[in-house]
Amino acid sequence: MSVSGEDSNGRDDDKVLVGEFALALLDAAEHERVARRIAAEPALAAELQLWQSRMQSLDREFVETPPPANVFAKVESRLFGAAARPSAAARFWDNLALWRGLAAAGLAVAVIAVGFNVLRPAPDSAALANQLVASLEADGSDVKFVAFYNEASGAVRLVSLGGKQVPDKDYELWYIQGSQAPVSMGVIPVDARTNIPLDPKAQASIKPGTVLAVTLEPKGGSPSGAPTGPIVAKGAATAI
Amino acid sequence: MRDRTAFRTLYERTSAKLFGVTLRILKDRSEAEEALQEIYVKIWQRADRYVAGNYSPISWLVAVARNHCLDMLRARRPVSDDIDVALEVADLAPDPEQAALNSNERSRIDHCLAELDDDKADAIRGAYLDGYSYDELAERYGVPLNTMRTWLRRSLLKLRECLSA
Repeated sequence: MSVSGEDSNGRDDDKVLVGEFALALLDAAEHERVARRIAAEPALAAELQLWQSRMQSLDREFVETPPPANVFAKVESRLFGAAARPSAAARFWDNLALWRGLAAAGLAVAVIAVGFNVLRPAPDSAALANQLVASLEADGSDVKFVAFYNEASGAVRLVSLGGKQVPDKDYELWYIQGSQAPVSMGVIPVDARTNIPLDPKAQASIKPGTVLAVTLEPKGGSPSGAPTGPIVAKGAATAI
Repeated sequence: MRDRTAFRTLYERTSAKLFGVTLRILKDRSEAEEALQEIYVKIWQRADRYVAGNYSPISWLVAVARNHCLDMLRARRPVSDDIDVALEVADLAPDPEQAALNSNERSRIDHCLAELDDDKADAIRGAYLDGYSYDELAERYGVPLNTMRTWLRRSLLKLRECLSA
């Protein structure tokens, strides 16, 4: 297709053309035309590689800027959301839209219990393990979570059903056994699903009747290890 | 679950740099956030197209991010004919001989740009780092489009000779 590589002027033209391509100076039609030539002509591909490898030294001038936290949650749910999960129960759990619908109907806990029993495959070790669920909410607060604990996985799965991120604050999840001091399970996102692996002590502590509570804390979580802010949602764990 | 952890690690290590790229080129915070999402989806779904070699993972990721933004800009400019070239860098077999050169490249590009007139070197930086088109550069430097194109093509040839010298 190309006759332009025949003499030195042609070669120079191609070098410059590939440089323009590497710098993205060409309009869409020209860019496409050059892309096709590069794909077909190894000499041009080598030329592009030379331009790219030299120019990429300028990449250091792109200033690192942490993106807002919600971007991660959005990408994560696109990549690992409903469609990516293998089992029916997991898909059920991962469907945030479904959960929001259920919360609106005020039926979350009952439906989780039914849902998991219906969707759970034939009994296996996971099915025989303790499974607990808690609906976390409080009067005067629009923060709502549903927490699901499976003893076999040793992790709490948490779905945010309502509530907004508060500037310079974070939500923190706690478990409380009887009259003992609350124990932190960490800072949790709103508008996302979270999986919180528990340490062995916490795993042993969470039983039917254990209260889970969410407080509003300074950014990064309570500085003291004990709750400092108001309880915005809480609920007791119930066996499924 | 392992994939998720791997993705989180990748994201934590690279998102500030890639957000720097999308912000600089798109110059609009919400567009830059939106593009960042698209870029990570693209990266993750096509991570197998990264070929280890003399492209470090981070420069590959920057190239994917930059190309994604440039595709967006190009699609908005006159003569729109969309093509997915965002991952073209990954398709090129790396040249092992260049690995040894990489450490010198930083000073080389600085040296070679310094040999050009200041405004021409700035225009080339603007094209690479800000995604400016010939039109935009012509406007910024207050010269006719053809003049800008002639200028820059001459400067590119000079730059090219210096870069491979």
